[in-house]
Amino acid sequence: MNAIGRFLQMVTFPELLKGMAITTKYLAKPKVTESYPDARPVLPYRTKGRLHVEIETCISCRMCEKACPEGCIRVYPPPKEVFKTDKRPAEFYLNQEHCLHCGLCVDPCPTGSIHHSQEFELAVVHYDDLLFDKETLPYDLDQKRFRWNLLENVPVKK
Amino acid sequence: MSRLARSAGNRGSTPREAKRAMTYEVLLNTVGWPLAKIVVLLAAVLTVVAYIGWFERRLLGLFQSRLGPNRVGPLGLLQPVADGLKLFLKEDIVPLNARPFLFKLAPVFAFFPAFLGFAVVSWALPWATPSGRHHGFVVADVDLGILLVLAVSSLGIFGIILGGWSSGSKYPLMGSLRSASQMLAYEIPLTLSVIAVILLGGSFRLSDIVAAQQKLGAYFILPGLLAFGVYLISAVAETNRVPFDLPEGESEIIGFHTEYSGMRFGFFFVAEYANMVLISVIAASLFLGGYDLPGVDDAALYAAHPNLASALGVFAFAAKSALFAYFYVWIRATFPRYRYDQLLRIGWVVLLPIALANVALVALLKLWLLR
Repeated sequence: MNAIGRFLQMVTFPELLKGMAITTKYLAKPKVTESYPDARPVLPYRTKGRLHVEIETCISCRMCEKACPEGCIRVYPPPKEVFKTDKRPAEFYLNQEHCLHCGLCVDPCPTGSIHHSQEFELAVVHYDDLLFDKETLPYDLDQKRFRWNLLENVPVKK
Repeated sequence: MSRLARSAGNRGSTPREAKRAMTYEVLLNTVGWPLAKIVVLLAAVLTVVAYIGWFERRLLGLFQSRLGPNRVGPLGLLQPVADGLKLFLKEDIVPLNARPFLFKLAPVFAFFPAFLGFAVVSWALPWATPSGRHHGFVVADVDLGILLVLAVSSLGIFGIILGGWSSGSKYPLMGSLRSASQMLAYEIPLTLSVIAVILLGGSFRLSDIVAAQQKLGAYFILPGLLAFGVYLISAVAETNRVPFDLPEGESEIIGFHTEYSGMRFGFFFVAEYANMVLISVIAASLFLGGYDLPGVDDAALYAAHPNLASALGVFAFAAKSALFAYFYVWIRATFPRYRYDQLLRIGWVVLLPIALANVALVALLKLWLLR
């Protein structure tokens, strides 16, 4: 009897049918693949992307420059006469080649002018493209998606 | 011949011209039309074989919560073209230890039998031309068609064994040995399950088997349900697909085409998919009524609109075959591989008794019920 029962189980293979039912269930489930270049990924708010500096609010205090472990930030304050009225830096350099995205420059900034953007596609063709200055650095590629809330140091969705 | 002679006589005025016209007719019927059919069939089958790879990869992706290849062209439809180009452009390596002649011959041995079987498949009811002639949708409607398919598909194993042996490396040799042991397991149940259908249909010819199903009014999957199950399982082993992909062992163990690269590997690949298509097509015509339109009186439709019936028949056949292709991808997505002793056990302990009992059962059915 036992042998016949085992043979019947071999013939009807209930466990195989169960497996096939499971794969069919997964066929109907939503897929986890993101079609990356077509569909933009949804990044968390605190993504440490490329550094973004708001030159207009920067007071040239050079705290970020001192905090940077790699020394990839250079801030040049304006001449003294100008500094009395206009504290915006004369020049601001970021060497993206050395940047660790560690965020140590973001914490000491008294005005919250430097922060990480959500820009993560950092590949460039030339080394020169990795060097950012006052003109190129504040260029916010994410302007269409969010704006930085300076008071609470959080991004705000538009 | 009399019809030929008459039409030839109308055309030529002198006996010599009449003879020439007749020779032309005979040549057209013996060489011209079959050659044209072969070319069309090969083109169609190669296209289907290319796209069944895409179909499998997309479907497998969906089963595994992925999307599958969708980057080349719309829906990834140009993926087979890209793959083929890649394989053609890759370097063709012959290992130092290999026996070069046999090493180069083996892919041909695998490739050729895979496509030979399509010659006897009857795709639809004959196409009627305005001149009153009927062209069958078949290259060679031979009497022993299904037997030829069985024989030729067994030949494909030679390519695998030859490829494994002539590589001059131990892992391909082991792969091809597994393939030989696998053949022991599935060939006999497969043949026995087909014998049950032959008993029901009363003929070895595939078009006769389909005609018998139309006459019976029911597909042979109903009286031959057990044979259908046995055929499904042994057909997977026949095509070397998961869960019986012992010779190949795509996912972890090393298979018979380890040393092959470029288009020689591509030939093995194409042969495998061609076998899958062939086995699906044969299954559709043996068990699901082939080009019979379900729920339609085919004979009446053919009498009224012969060409419409033929064209619809091809689509019905394709749809039924696609069901099997879907099934094979489905089980590939579900099951892990069997060891070869497990496969032998399935073949000899489970499938063979069922197939034998089924042959007896079908014979009794045929004697008493379906006379």
